[in-house]
Amino acid sequence: MTAVTPAPVPVIDRDLPARGRRRTRAVRGSRPGWFVYAALGAVLLASVFPFYWSLLIGSGDASTVRDPNMSWIPGGNFLANAAAVMGDPAVNFWPALMNSVISSGIIAASVVFFSTLAGWAFAKLTFRGGPWLLLFVVGTMAVPMQLGVVPLYILFSELGWTGQLGAIIVPALTSAFGVFWMTQYLRQAVPDELIEAARVDGATSFRTFLTVGVPAARPAAAMLGLFTFVSAWNNFFWPFIVLDRQNPTLPVALSLLQSNYFVDYSKVLAGVLLSTIPLLVLFVFAGKQLVSGIMQGAVKG
Amino acid sequence: MKNRALRRVALVAAVASTSALVLAGCSGGGGSASGGDGPVTLTVATFNDFGYTDALLKEYMDAHPNVKIVHNKAATSNDARANYFQKLGKTGLADIEAIEVDWLPEVMEYADLLAPVPDDLKSRWLDYKVKAATSSEGNLIGYGTDIGPEGVCYRSDLFAAAGLPTDREEVAKMLQGDWSTYFAAGDKYVAATGKPFFDSAGGTYQGAINQVEDAYENPDTGEITATENPEVKKIYDQVLKASATQSAHLGQWSDDWMAGLSNGAFATMLCPGWMLGVIEGNAPEVKGWDIANAFPGGGGNWGGSYLTVPSNGKNVAAAQELADWLTSPDTQIKAFENAGTFPSQTDALKNETLLSNTNAYFNNAPVGQILTDRAEAVKVSPYKGTFYFQINDAMQKALTRVEDGTQDAATSWQQWVTEVDALK
Amino acid sequence: MTSTLERPTRSAPAPAGARQPRRIGFGQRRSAWDLKFSPYLYISPFFILFAITGLFPIAYTAVISFMDWDLVRNSGHFIGFDQYAWVLSQPKFWVALRNTFSIFLLSSVPQLILAIFIAAMLDQNIRAKTFWRMSVLIPYVMAPVAVALIFSNMFGDQYGVVNTTLQNLGLPAVPWHSDALASHVAIATMVNFRWTGYNTLILLAAMQAIPREFYEAATVDGAGKVRQFFSITLPSLKPTLIFVIITSTIGGLQIFDEPRMYDQYGTGGADNQWLTVTLWLYNIGWGEWNFGRAAALAWILFLIILIIGAMNMLVTRSLVRDEGGRDQRSRRERRAQARAAKQRLAADAARLSTPTKEARR
Repeated sequence: MTAVTPAPVPVIDRDLPARGRRRTRAVRGSRPGWFVYAALGAVLLASVFPFYWSLLIGSGDASTVRDPNMSWIPGGNFLANAAAVMGDPAVNFWPALMNSVISSGIIAASVVFFSTLAGWAFAKLTFRGGPWLLLFVVGTMAVPMQLGVVPLYILFSELGWTGQLGAIIVPALTSAFGVFWMTQYLRQAVPDELIEAARVDGATSFRTFLTVGVPAARPAAAMLGLFTFVSAWNNFFWPFIVLDRQNPTLPVALSLLQSNYFVDYSKVLAGVLLSTIPLLVLFVFAGKQLVSGIMQGAVKG
Repeated sequence: MKNRALRRVALVAAVASTSALVLAGCSGGGGSASGGDGPVTLTVATFNDFGYTDALLKEYMDAHPNVKIVHNKAATSNDARANYFQKLGKTGLADIEAIEVDWLPEVMEYADLLAPVPDDLKSRWLDYKVKAATSSEGNLIGYGTDIGPEGVCYRSDLFAAAGLPTDREEVAKMLQGDWSTYFAAGDKYVAATGKPFFDSAGGTYQGAINQVEDAYENPDTGEITATENPEVKKIYDQVLKASATQSAHLGQWSDDWMAGLSNGAFATMLCPGWMLGVIEGNAPEVKGWDIANAFPGGGGNWGGSYLTVPSNGKNVAAAQELADWLTSPDTQIKAFENAGTFPSQTDALKNETLLSNTNAYFNNAPVGQILTDRAEAVKVSPYKGTFYFQINDAMQKALTRVEDGTQDAATSWQQWVTEVDALK
Repeated sequence: MTSTLERPTRSAPAPAGARQPRRIGFGQRRSAWDLKFSPYLYISPFFILFAITGLFPIAYTAVISFMDWDLVRNSGHFIGFDQYAWVLSQPKFWVALRNTFSIFLLSSVPQLILAIFIAAMLDQNIRAKTFWRMSVLIPYVMAPVAVALIFSNMFGDQYGVVNTTLQNLGLPAVPWHSDALASHVAIATMVNFRWTGYNTLILLAAMQAIPREFYEAATVDGAGKVRQFFSITLPSLKPTLIFVIITSTIGGLQIFDEPRMYDQYGTGGADNQWLTVTLWLYNIGWGEWNFGRAAALAWILFLIILIIGAMNMLVTRSLVRDEGGRDQRSRRERRAQARAAKQRLAADAARLSTPTKEARR
């Protein structure tokens, strides 16, 4: 079998006169100047600042949040507060963490897979009713879902699924948002020529999808997976309604820390920060997928 | 590269099939065994802090070896409310569900879905506690737990600076009377210091309106009478007139209000028992808070809860037994010791532990005695029909608009009237 | 140095042709079926799952919007368009609509511009790429309780950090919770804080797919970074830009969490200064338990979103296309080169299958 995808792009390289090629190498190797780093630094400051503020409160005690002269250096209590949260019998931290990891992971994987598949079809395959179906998908995003918990609960209590993780996983297995995103992304990221070439070589539709679509989709798929994981992780209301208190997800479990007339925000925010750590770990993995030149890489390999 | 892609697909498929196994294997939440004397698991759902510690519940479990109690707490009372009405009449509620007195108007519409309290128990609680939760058929549908009798919390250090008495007996004497007495004291304070006397018009209005028997609706016909009731207009005008100079304009439970508890933004506040912990928590370094055995107009109650037993539960009889025990005077006293929830049972109000209870933060005030006196001073149980809270919320917004300076009193009243008329 | 555009005709796959017709015939049948039905197969998981868990809530919301619905007893009676009429006749509806549009514009427009700008910077060859890129997403993962706490602390009318700082600088304090526009600005700030990084990464992922060689060729031709941005980046991003604008429109008109967290009551302000349509919807449903009315409001909002969304998309399509001058040429060039490359590959295949041909290089 021949290599599937010829690269149109490297041809440009070879066409340049020698002098231009040297300049190209110089261009590729250039680093951006101080302005970019300064601007990014400002963005970093604005993004991280409230997070740091949470750390300040979470590392203090119950009165820190009200203290008008709160110090800008973290207090020493963070580990103590975190330990209190993890050990609190009412909070049920570790089972909740496990539930969150399992449900968010399954949801993210499923959404990425089905969205890429459907997005590929909408973006690159022509079939009757395609544009209208895509419009329908986008239209479903426009319906406000604040009332949706009620019929969903009716449905799942009829099925007898209340209290089980399946009740929060199944409704979230696909998302219109994901389908729409992958459609638009694949539209721009995959040149039609590559698909033609694959088809000429006798590849089936699915093989084309696997060899052209999946590698091309990697940056967007990684981001979609990350976003879906985070939103499933932080989701509160539906898991609160449908799961048992004994079998909660992490946000529901941590919300118990707020169930008093007087709330100790140092513990609440310590719990919040704890629940953010797995997400930050995921950041690193997903971020590495934001690689440019995916198509060139796929070709040379 | 092809293999990489295939491997990735295989991984996702593996995850998907694992998930299917996980879902299938996840056995559902426990169903308790059917009644009789077999082993029974009872779920109790509360919010905030009812004082039902594990040790307390263990007492019951020791006395009833076939009963296992599972205690669930919701995050906030708003979440608990959404959960309650979402599942009432369907599946998913606990065997015993706590409700707040503010939910009663809506709960009473569905009184037929709750198991009534046995008649012989009704005399256990204060009259107004029972009346509020009695349906039109005469069924009491909630076991009363706590109430929120109010006194007046004040800053003795700020009073001293204004030349007002600081000893709580004297302050009580000064505030004895009706609302004009209270506002007169406020005028004195403002004249002396130029600083606000109370926290907000809204909080003060609330104390006053709860003393009006049928403020917004006609109890017999359910008709809305709020806009024509002269009492409502009188209180509105009186509170706003005083608020112009005496109010700190800090909406209750806002960030600014919580800061105000410690920075001396206001000198007094209408104070139910559960508020004591809030003040202490938000102003731990302040030494001047104290509580006086007085309330303008006699008596006031803010808050309180009940335990309800959904009638379609699996263990109604066993649940009612447990609710009976939890709301008995002795148990309620124990809960009070755990969480400061003030008992609503008449026998509990005579209990020595309660009467001798003092609060160190509030200058060792005999809060047990004070709040008992205040509880007994409550004479009026205001009627709250289906539209009570919509009308009252609209009123609170009207007061806030004036406090914010967005509108003047007359325009704000007009807007409120228009909103209430739209409800009819 | 050999120009790859010249093709010796020797490499036409004549010998291979003898074997191929049989193979092509079989492949043709399979691929015809493949091409016709596989798309439906690929989109079916979404539609099946949607039919189960997405359609029912939508249908439920639609049906009860025509009824006086009792949530607890799960029953109601039909009252036609009464709920819709009530909603449209309320001054509160128009106030909420005004607030929604105001917050939408104050948040979506700066957010989009900022997101494109930051994504363009992150697209460059900076050091510690992953760190810089993922740090913009940190606001998105902050739990709502933390966001509510921090921002109410910041925007408190009397003791908030912002007002205290303004007063220290000698400026007047801003009435964040009583002036409508001030509240919109504060809420838009909360929204932008949360969602700018999100949109940045969406755009960044799309920018990563633009071949680097385009930029290099443009640099060789003397185009500056800014010119490259407008002539290469933006046109190539068009599908993703449409996506971001549509989702921002939908999300922006449905803003709910931030106005709800803005004060301790969650009802949109004493004079409905920051009441958005979805917040009102939520309070009618979960506050007053009038689900039929809330459902009617939901569908009215849906119609509004459809109209505005369609408008935005048309605007985007026409705006971005006008910028694509340079792009057209390179696309044509690209196609020609792709065709040439394909022919070369076919030639290579033929060559490899008939070992008697000598290698060209």
